[in-house]
Amino acid sequence: MAEPIVNIRHLNSWYGKGKERRQVLRDVSLTLAAGETLGIVGESGSGKTTLAKCVLGMVTDYQGTLQVNSPRPQMVFQDPYGSLNPARTVGWFLEEALRASGVGDRGERRARALDMLTQVGLTGEHYGRRPGQLSGGQRQRVSIAAALIQGSKLIVLDEPVSALDVTLQAQILQLLADLRARYQLSYLFISHDLAVVYQLCDRVCVLYHGQVVEEGGLDTVYDHPRHDYTKKLLAASLALD
Amino acid sequence: MRKRKNWYFVLGLILTALSVGYSALGLFWTPYSSTAMVGADRYALPSLAHPFGCDHMGRDVFSRTLEGASATLTIALAVIVIGFMAGLVIGALCGYYGGAADAVVMRICDAIAAFPSVLLGLVILALTGPGKYNVILALGILFIPSFARLVRGEFLKYRDRDFVRAARLMGVSPLRILFSHILPNTWPVLLSGLTIGFNNAVLAEASMSYLGIGVGPGDTSLGRMISEAQSYFTTAPWLVLFPALVTVLLILGAGMLGEGIRERLGED
Ligand SMILES: Nc1ncnc2c1ncn2[C@@H]1O[C@H](COP(=O)(O)OP(=O)(O)OP(=O)(O)O)[C@@H](O)[C@H]1O
Ligand SMILES: [Mg+2]
Repeated sequence: MAEPIVNIRHLNSWYGKGKERRQVLRDVSLTLAAGETLGIVGESGSGKTTLAKCVLGMVTDYQGTLQVNSPRPQMVFQDPYGSLNPARTVGWFLEEALRASGVGDRGERRARALDMLTQVGLTGEHYGRRPGQLSGGQRQRVSIAAALIQGSKLIVLDEPVSALDVTLQAQILQLLADLRARYQLSYLFISHDLAVVYQLCDRVCVLYHGQVVEEGGLDTVYDHPRHDYTKKLLAASLALD
Repeated sequence: MRKRKNWYFVLGLILTALSVGYSALGLFWTPYSSTAMVGADRYALPSLAHPFGCDHMGRDVFSRTLEGASATLTIALAVIVIGFMAGLVIGALCGYYGGAADAVVMRICDAIAAFPSVLLGLVILALTGPGKYNVILALGILFIPSFARLVRGEFLKYRDRDFVRAARLMGVSPLRILFSHILPNTWPVLLSGLTIGFNNAVLAEASMSYLGIGVGPGDTSLGRMISEAQSYFTTAPWLVLFPALVTVLLILGAGMLGEGIRERLGED
């Protein structure tokens, strides 16, 4: 079997220092194979974002094995208002990502930025806009474009559709599925919404108080949940439908 | 969308243009020599020949306010350039990186800011001697802490924003993150801070010259003129009035411009 793109074994992680140091992740183990999408679900405060930050190297206080076999993994943040620089234009920060990865030629940066915009369903019209001049859905498309433009294969998505209404959610999820196929991406997809996870993911991993309480294929987990918390989650999401 | 007219900005811009134009004129041209003394013109009232009158030594007050304003403006601008540049670098690094170095630097800034600035200026000038360039240096150094604190607050506010995190993930260099990614977001606050700083610099120069520790005896400045004129306040009030008016014009213009900038840039 090919080497997984993410391999986490017995990961513990903490926030704070000294007396304030609090453990957030406890003995978390999971893998993500290349091309696969793993859903991470759990209630607020269960450590989903912390896990994402560990994968991205943004949390340094951890113990255990943390292997990420993909250069420069990127993140799509939950809040499309905060993840784009309000003082800059869409074109500027797409090109900034290319500049950071060493694309020296201005014309090439511009061409690739414009191309990436069309890949996420936007047009050249959005190139010169600031985030303040885009709708929530458009902003999230721009965030996705920014995450992909450096050619990263591993994308961590932290509640990328939670801030959007249902029709927009469906569009963005479809876009993510299309891009995954086009660029052979692997997603670590964080959500508290089992219905959303069901639409996009291959496997799901349930976090509860910083621990993995359940992990497996969608059907296994959805049809035969073993842990009480998973059952509650399922009941809650069914109640909404 | 209906856009409210930004009167602060418009008025501030007009007043600033007027007072800066006035001061700039003084760099190149004055109707009379600012130091020429004409005995017959002592205490001359404002007239066509001397629109602002003449002082106790028979010097043309209009010429002197022109030259004084240009001196005050240059000093104030030089002071905020020094204070702002140094404050920007210090504040950006402290705010973004935080940690022990930040704590130490901010403690030092607090200590400097805790002293009355005129007193500190006095100490520095006692070491360097009087004169325009020493005033600039002394005030410039004194202005660093307040700018540093302002800038630090802004960078602290932005360092953990998602868009800054995203830039870090993309491998953007720290220097670019500081000055290309964060800095443009801070302009509304920094620009209005700059206009406040400018006003404080005008006032500081004036008060130091007023106390006789500002520009040297040969130089004119608005503060120095006001200081010299105070003894004649009851007999020849125009000697105080006109330099004071020009000072107020400078300060009012910058103040309103700052408010206007904040309103304007804060909108989108
Ligand atoms: N920077 C931080 N410093 C200290 N504690 C933190 C920090 N970030 C998160 N925590 C704490 O760690 C725990 C896990 O937080 P995390 O953000 O990973 O939760 P989450 O599962 O992503 O929740 P949500 O669904 O609300 O986003 C929470 O108790 C939170 O209060
Ligand atoms: Mg979270």
